[in-house]
Parts: sequence; structure tokens; C-alpha cells
Amino acid sequence: MYGRTASQLLRELDIADSDNLQAFNSDTCDQVIAECENHHLMLQSLIRKLEGEQLDIQTARNEDHFGAVTHHLSLLRNKRCLMAYMYNRAEVIRSLRWKVGAKLPEEIQEKLSFSEKEYFKNHSAAIESSMSELDLDLTVDMVPPKDPYIQVRVLDDIGDNLSLGDHSFSLTKNSVHSVRRTDAEQYISQGLMEEFFA
Amino acid sequence: MANYYNIDDILMEEEPITSIFQVRANGVGLLDPGSESNCVEAGAKVDLPLWLAHELHLRQAVAIGVPPCFSQRTRKEVQADAACVDLRSRCPYFYELGCKIFPLVGDKSIGPFLLYTFTSRYKEILSKSHSAPVSTSPKYLPRLTQEETQLFKAAQWSIASFRKWRVGGSRLEKASILGRKRKPAAAQLPPAG
Repeated sequence: MYGRTASQLLRELDIADSDNLQAFNSDTCDQVIAECENHHLMLQSLIRKLEGEQLDIQTARNEDHFGAVTHHLSLLRNKRCLMAYMYNRAEVIRSLRWKVGAKLPEEIQEKLSFSEKEYFKNHSAAIESSMSELDLDLTVDMVPPKDPYIQVRVLDDIGDNLSLGDHSFSLTKNSVHSVRRTDAEQYISQGLMEEFFA
Repeated sequence: MANYYNIDDILMEEEPITSIFQVRANGVGLLDPGSESNCVEAGAKVDLPLWLAHELHLRQAVAIGVPPCFSQRTRKEVQADAACVDLRSRCPYFYELGCKIFPLVGDKSIGPFLLYTFTSRYKEILSKSHSAPVSTSPKYLPRLTQEETQLFKAAQWSIASFRKWRVGGSRLEKASILGRKRKPAAAQLPPAG
């Protein structure tokens, strides 16, 4: 059926919830594009046939016209599916900058296509330049803070002698520190620390 | 909901609609598996996806029938006990499809029927979503349509957020996209194969 392959792309997006990105499905995209080219060829040949019969394309309502209309509609449908696939992925990719940070871990990187990686890079740069203009880090304090300092437990060896704010810490696994909330936030969202409750 | 990029809207338009061609159409033999030449004859009965059936109907090329999920039989079942009817297997986008299809087929009774179905199922959805534990609700969920599932999830999420707010606890969390894998070190392992 026309447009079936293209809808598979969106079904894939639908199954994975919005928090979960799947690898870019370039195979199916290529199939849909090939299908579009087929529709285009059919459309052209039907239009040529109409013209060959000296009929006005605007007003003729014969069997060739309805064939051409069907192919035209299928083209529009495939276009909509492809656009929606890109658009909805782009939305997730933009949100990554806020949730994960400027540097994406390997496991997410490999799910993006080349142009999506470029998109993320450019989007991230745009946010950064906007933030440096404002002189304000917009990505911290996503949850309104109660206290400027929090207790954190380190979940993985991050490094010795890392300076967070005014002090330097040796962030070894399972150690507990009291740090400035804004400094810890990026590590928590990357899954390297967790908030610690005594 | 009708947004160009909306996933649910696009998937809803994929629902098959029984259509009867009023005219001959050339070069679209794929639509009718029974046709031998590459064209569809007038009078051929074909299942078209809604997006195609809708547009062709506007051009008076096809006549479309009422989908089976709005048949008298379904209506009787809904009247008997709306909450127990498995609507998803009939049509995952039951309500949206109903709203789209009724101006096309000119069946005015579909509107009140949708409203009746929704109001009688709504209470059940809400009470189950608030009482059922977050991890298990498999028996009831497969019967819901896509729209109802979204409602169910929203209700469940709101009750979970409320509980979290009441007990307090960590408000800073790891980005959910990173999944359950705790150690990024696992990603550094050489890829298998």
C-alpha cells in the first residue's frame, strides 16, 4: 500500500517514548525516498499521457487524472511522514542540550545521523553564545533550589583534584562531598553523582 | 491535535477505510490486489488508508463506507458495558477516527455515540490509573485506545508526581535518556563483532 513504509518510521517513534531515542533509520528513509521517485515517474508519465491526448490538465477528469491525483497525494503523504520523522527527532535532540549537556555520551552519539550531530552542535553553540551574552548559565537550576549547597555521593571515579567552585575535591567512587549545587548539577544529570541524604 | 508533524495524527490517518471506486484510475494497480492490469476499475472495492480515501472522496472519486468499529454490533456491545469493550483491537484511534469520518459518511449518530462511549469509559480509566500500582496494569491497558492510553499515563504520572512531592526526596535526577545503564564505562568496551 502507498505510504505504508513511511508510516513505519513514525510507528517506530511512537513505540519508543519521548525519552528514548532510537538509532536513525536511514534504510527505511531511503526506501521511502525510492518510493517517492517511483510516484514521481508515474505522475509524470500520466501527465504526459494527458497532454498527448490534447486534454487540459486543469479540467480533465478521466482515468489518467485520478491515477495522477493518487500518485500526487502519495507523494505529499510520504513527504509529511519524512518531515514528521525528522521534526520529532530534532525536538528530542534539542532537549538533549538541556538534559545531558554539551557533550553527548557515546551511546547517544551513535544513534544520531551525521546531519543530526551537526544540528546538535550548532544548536548547542547557539545556546552557548546566547548564554555568554546574558552572562548567565541557563542550564543550571532546572529545579528551583532550596539550598545553595547539597550533599552528593560520587558514583564513579571522576578525577582527583577537580576544582568545583572555590575548593578542589578528589572525586573518587562512593565518596561524599558537600558542594555547590550549581557545580554538581551537570554531574548528576550525566549520572556520575547522586544527591545524598544522610 | 491536527498538526502537520503530529505522530498520532499521521498514524490515525493510516487506518483502513473501505472505499468503492466511482471512476477508473490508471497506473495505481497496487491499490487493488485483484486487478490484473495496472489500473483500478470503477466499482472496485478497496481498503484505502484514510488520508487517501479522504482526499479522493472530496474529488468524488470514491465512496466510503462506515468503518466496522462504528457498526451496530459495536454499538450494542458498548451499550452493554462500555468499559469492557476492547476498543484498541477495533481501532487504536477510535475517537479521532470517529471525528474525522463522520462528516464524510454523513452519519450523524456517530458523534453522540463517541461521547457516550467516552463518558462511560472515562470513570473507569481514571479510577484504575489512580489506584493501580505504577509497574503493573497489563490486564486493562491493552483494551484502551491510543487516546485513552495517553489519558491513563497522564493520570498515572500525576499521581506519581504527587506522591513524590509529598514524601520529598531527590529532585535532581539523572537525565532519563541515559537509561538504566549506570556506568558510562560500559560504553567504552570494544563493540562486539
